[in-house]
Amino acid sequence: MKVAFLLNDLQLSGGVGVVVQHARELALRHGHDVTLVLVREQEAAPWEFDGLAHLHVDGLDDARARHFDVAIATWWETVYSLFELDADRYVHFLQSFEDRFYDRGSAERSAAAMTLDLPVSYVTEAAWIAETLARVRPEAPCLYVRNGIDKDVFSSPASLEVRVGEPLRIVVEGNPDVWFKGVHEAIGVVRAMREPRHLTVVTGDASKIEPGAADRVVGPLTHRQMAELYGESDVVFKLSRVEGMFGPPLEGFHMGATCVVAPVTGYDEYIEHGWNGLVVDWDDVGGSARALDLLARDRRLLTFLRTNALETARSWPTWEQSSTFMAAALEKIRRDPPPPAYAGARQLAADSLLALDTQRLTMHERDEYRRLAKPALRLKRTGAWRVLGRLREHPRMQPVWTRLRPLTRRVRSKLTG
Amino acid sequence: MHDRSERITEHTHPSIAAEHRLRYALAAPAIRASARWCDLGCGTGLSAAAALGGVYEGTALLVDREQELADRAATAVDAHQTVAIAADLSTAAGVERVRAALADGTGPLCVTCLETIPHLSDFAPLVALLAERAGEPEHTVVLSVPNDAFWALESPHHRTAWSEGAVAELRTLLPADHVVLHQVSVQGSAILRAGESADAQAPIALSPGVPSHVLLAFGAGAAQLGSGSPAAVVVQADVEAQRREARQRASDLLHLETTVQTLERRLAATPAAPPASDEDGSSDAPAASGHA
Repeated sequence: MKVAFLLNDLQLSGGVGVVVQHARELALRHGHDVTLVLVREQEAAPWEFDGLAHLHVDGLDDARARHFDVAIATWWETVYSLFELDADRYVHFLQSFEDRFYDRGSAERSAAAMTLDLPVSYVTEAAWIAETLARVRPEAPCLYVRNGIDKDVFSSPASLEVRVGEPLRIVVEGNPDVWFKGVHEAIGVVRAMREPRHLTVVTGDASKIEPGAADRVVGPLTHRQMAELYGESDVVFKLSRVEGMFGPPLEGFHMGATCVVAPVTGYDEYIEHGWNGLVVDWDDVGGSARALDLLARDRRLLTFLRTNALETARSWPTWEQSSTFMAAALEKIRRDPPPPAYAGARQLAADSLLALDTQRLTMHERDEYRRLAKPALRLKRTGAWRVLGRLREHPRMQPVWTRLRPLTRRVRSKLTG
Repeated sequence: MHDRSERITEHTHPSIAAEHRLRYALAAPAIRASARWCDLGCGTGLSAAAALGGVYEGTALLVDREQELADRAATAVDAHQTVAIAADLSTAAGVERVRAALADGTGPLCVTCLETIPHLSDFAPLVALLAERAGEPEHTVVLSVPNDAFWALESPHHRTAWSEGAVAELRTLLPADHVVLHQVSVQGSAILRAGESADAQAPIALSPGVPSHVLLAFGAGAAQLGSGSPAAVVVQADVEAQRREARQRASDLLHLETTVQTLERRLAATPAAPPASDEDGSSDAPAASGHA
């Protein structure tokens, strides 16, 4: 089967990593002819993912000249290039509802949402995505293929190392700059604990973590280093608010760590409160800290959760199994008739109208602000304003401006509301 | 010693044999109603034969990776006609062989594929073959997979892991109108006069719970499967055999642990071997130039 995966680039990210894993396994194990089609001009050299050598990597122009059995968009922006390719079947590999990454009212949010209205088949990695899609696009074919785990890297111990009489070893990982990762909130909760603990924060940029907030700040780490860290930890603590498949606690499970998490999308794929982890509420610093304290105190419970976490990991698929489901999914998509051309048309029309209304509102607001700003703009064009500007920069005038600052602040505050 | 290869033999633990037989018993009405029956991964055929209970009037196509086993199944299953073929169902070629064999006949067909998928490293071609059957009139497919979360031990014979999530993945590959059945484990006890044999009947109160296996059926006869009273089978536990097996396991473990300790002690007492000398010129270490 000739398969094309459309990507923006081959830079290191979880989403791209998943696509490359599937592509590699499809080529190596299932004998598919797989091409990674990069839809953008590339500014940086690609990350050296394992197995790239087994894949073709083409630009969009080269790919246009070829025919594919199945073409797969892997990120909302790539959906806009999907129909540029000549293919028998078009697929959207949905790793999250990507419109949620953008602010309300932003153009990207509307554009990302509208990619879900096209007559394509879907493959998704999380049950909650499949269920949500079934509600908004009940007629759209959607196949479920969970991400595998590299069990050579996240290689489970033969038996659990039981730890007693030590501080609870906690790992918090994520990008502290990304609001929905909840890294700072998680650190705040650990700080509110009463029992002895040892906190390791894993982040790409240690400078974003307040000094003294953690016992150890490490990162960025390779997968192998992450596996090692999880192996010496008791708990993976996550308070994310948006996740697709929610991989980190599962990786921790493989290495014998349990988790304490908020009920973020994707958590219920494998986390069961009181069985292999604990689920706490968002914005409940006290409650979450008490949950961690409980694990620090009750080592029997901690061992029970860790044992079951390891058990859960055991039944999670490898990448080999995951790619077999992907191969079967693509085979089914190729075998079944394509979705009708009008599939999603009603939703597309509704979303277009919504985008139009949003745009109209934005334009109206812009015109209103322009009208309000008109006197100020006119003032700025006068010679007197230019003179005032020069005076503002003049060194001798600085003491005067310093004295006038409270007054100018008040005026500015009045003008800007 | 207990056969741990997962093939059902005369020596298989009674509860395991009963559990296998029950799956075939569920499919038995659909098999009997079909002119052809194809059993993928038939093994010894003992469970199927016991579940069918008598002569099957149609043609049985028995498929296993090993021709010897398929032949053995052909002798175990009492059918009007039996065809035994060897096919590696984890390969496209093996599945193609089955497809060709199925294309040979006509009439209603029942395909059973019970506990076979977990043994395959690549099940995509087989799942495609099974799903294809749904498009054919009067074809019924019954398949099953275990729920690994239920079992305390990892099966060394399984190439893939099966859980609620994997079943959810599999279900998206099957026709939308497929039927899902949960096989659950039952336990109990009975009292009878010493030295007597008897058949006992007892109502079993069943409620949703963690399944030990999941059965999926689709095609013409799928709706009838499990539509009446739940199928159940209870067998008397062979307490003596269980005790023997448990004791054997414990003594094996003790024996192996002692053997390991003895070997470790011997290893520790062995003087370290001197480093290999290159005086005889046999060393293949690189020369100072770095070239070997």
